[in-house]
Amino acid sequence: MTPTCIALITLLTPLVSAVIIALFLRKQGTLASTVSVLAATVVAAGSLMLAFGGHRDAAVNASVEWLKLGDFTLSLGFKFDDLAALMLSIVGVVGLAVHVFSLGYMHDDASKARFFGGLSIFMFSMIGIVLADNLFMIFIFWELVGFSSYVLINHYHEKASASDASKKAFIVNRVGDFGFLLGIVMCYWANNTVNLTELGHLSDTHSLVFSRLIPLLLFCGAVGKSAQMPLQVWLPDAMEGPTPVSALIHAATMVAAGIYMLCRIEVLMVADALTVIMWVGAITAFYASLCAITQSDIKKVLAYSTLSQLGYMVAAFGLGSLEHLDETTKTVVTLSAGVGAAMFHLTTHAFFKALMFLGSGSVIYGCHHEQDIFKMGGLAKKMPFTFVTFTIGVAAICGLPFLSGFFSKDAILHLAQEKNTAVFVILALTAVLTSFYMVRMWKLTFLGQPRSHEAEHAHEGGLSMTAPLFVLAVLALVGGYAGHFFNIYGHAFEGVWSQIPFAEGAEPYITSIVILVVGAGAALMLYKSAATDALEEKSPALFGFLAFVKGSPDTAYDWYVAKVQQRFAMLLEFLERIFLSGLIIRGFSGVIGLIGIGARALHVGSLHAYVYWFLFGSAILWAYAAGWLF
Amino acid sequence: MTVGLNHYLLLSALLFAIGFFGVLLRKNTLVIYMCLELMLVASTVALVAFSRFNNTMDGNVFVFFILTVAAAEVAVGLAIIVALFRRRQSIDVGELNALKN
Repeated sequence: MTPTCIALITLLTPLVSAVIIALFLRKQGTLASTVSVLAATVVAAGSLMLAFGGHRDAAVNASVEWLKLGDFTLSLGFKFDDLAALMLSIVGVVGLAVHVFSLGYMHDDASKARFFGGLSIFMFSMIGIVLADNLFMIFIFWELVGFSSYVLINHYHEKASASDASKKAFIVNRVGDFGFLLGIVMCYWANNTVNLTELGHLSDTHSLVFSRLIPLLLFCGAVGKSAQMPLQVWLPDAMEGPTPVSALIHAATMVAAGIYMLCRIEVLMVADALTVIMWVGAITAFYASLCAITQSDIKKVLAYSTLSQLGYMVAAFGLGSLEHLDETTKTVVTLSAGVGAAMFHLTTHAFFKALMFLGSGSVIYGCHHEQDIFKMGGLAKKMPFTFVTFTIGVAAICGLPFLSGFFSKDAILHLAQEKNTAVFVILALTAVLTSFYMVRMWKLTFLGQPRSHEAEHAHEGGLSMTAPLFVLAVLALVGGYAGHFFNIYGHAFEGVWSQIPFAEGAEPYITSIVILVVGAGAALMLYKSAATDALEEKSPALFGFLAFVKGSPDTAYDWYVAKVQQRFAMLLEFLERIFLSGLIIRGFSGVIGLIGIGARALHVGSLHAYVYWFLFGSAILWAYAAGWLF
Repeated sequence: MTVGLNHYLLLSALLFAIGFFGVLLRKNTLVIYMCLELMLVASTVALVAFSRFNNTMDGNVFVFFILTVAAAEVAVGLAIIVALFRRRQSIDVGELNALKN
């Protein structure tokens, strides 16, 4: 089997699974889940075979022409470099873990078939983005992941909040995607190609047309999909979907697609655009960590944490590359780049955040769908396995030395320290806040005494729920060893890992431990195992301020939609009624109606009348032929 | 009195006018039909006269065509009228106004 063939199978198996489920298995939930999990297994196997089989670029790349419009050709094809291999492995492994976890979590769900069909179509779309070799193809699959995200957020569609959240996610993403599409069109207009490989060649020969607008417009797509400021509002609401969906789509893969896309188009970046991207990421990271402090829903805390970590990755990308002037050859050597740091954090984040989401899913399942952390407590004794794995996830995201999150976060902080002190301070503060709200949630959920009937009777899920937690916990432990001490990935992703900016010496350990001690210590001291928020009691003003900060974008958008957009829409509707449906449509139909009435009057039903008309017509024709008319 | 081209043309015009007003004014389909034939014959008279006075055969050739067409028309037309009468028991054009309603 050729590598291209494996790639094709990896891409199409989930689609086949989705089609089978949609056409034949809508009522057979158990069968549908089996089909979907089998497809995910094939995907995981295929992606690992491709990634670790040493097949890159020429061995896998293939392209077929899909559409030809004049001299514009739209082709579908694969571009499989180390970056794509890394992303594909993440999607494959996390995807399989989430599929297996869903077997347990969604076991009693009435519309299991729709859920697993949605997961399959998501896997298909996500792999499409990963393998795509041109921006148009990325855009097509970009919209498909948006659709599958919509379907899956809306899984509990009988809940008004879920259907509202799915609409919000879809509409907010449309705003970003509009900019993305404009960017693609503009890139095509400027460079006459949107093929990533060809753009790379153009860049190598210094014939690429640069513009600030192209990368910024393309970044709009990432702002929407990766929920950066100011389009971050949809991601916390998207937690209305089932928890495995939050783990797969809204933490590990789809929301990371924005960062992946930025890394794909790195050649188009210019310095000014990178600065904008860096600040957007840094501000999102900080803002989201502030929001997370006041949350009481376990999934909402994780959602804001995801936002914050995505901001980290975007900021890392925007920080750009570290360069070093080689004295002997007088050439600039790129030591590392934002791509390396961003993708490294994306990888470790995918592992530990998927782990924590699945852990929260296990908690929610164990507590019979109780999501309020103030009604939990004492789960460490009831659910020891979930407790241990979740703790690994929390330690990883807080940057405990030698866990995965430590290395990737440290790489970003090191890059920021070298490039921009202000961003470094913001990101370090964010890291403190991250430890703070994570430890707060961890303590309230697992320590102390159970504070509700549900928490008292909490229990572990079956093997299908613990096995994925175990796998992801192992990955969260070791996923960060990508070349600093040793490389657990072998040489598979050398193209990406070689760009990671590792700091030398003891400094990162000290920074990391200080951050951890300050953040976690504050949380441990402040929060007691109680049914109320300690911060709210001790400092209502601060709590109120944070809640205001958290709610203000939504308030602003609500105001905008109700007061500005709605009024503009009403004005347009008024104009439409007057001009379009009034003057043009009714007007035309009136004129045609009049002609009809006139024509009907001629139709009298008497043969003699027709003879007179005939005579009249002949006379006119004769007069015209004789030149008396005109 | 010498009979010249003008006399023939006058006769032709007269026949044509009779036929034409017959078509316009009569109600009986059969009569209208005969009047149509009369108009055709009026035109053949004019054509033969032109042919005779111009010493060419063009007009005569035309007449043969007109006669052929007229014969075919009679065959079809009379058949239609007979069928019409069988169905409607009337060939009065005043009553044949099904299209109007």
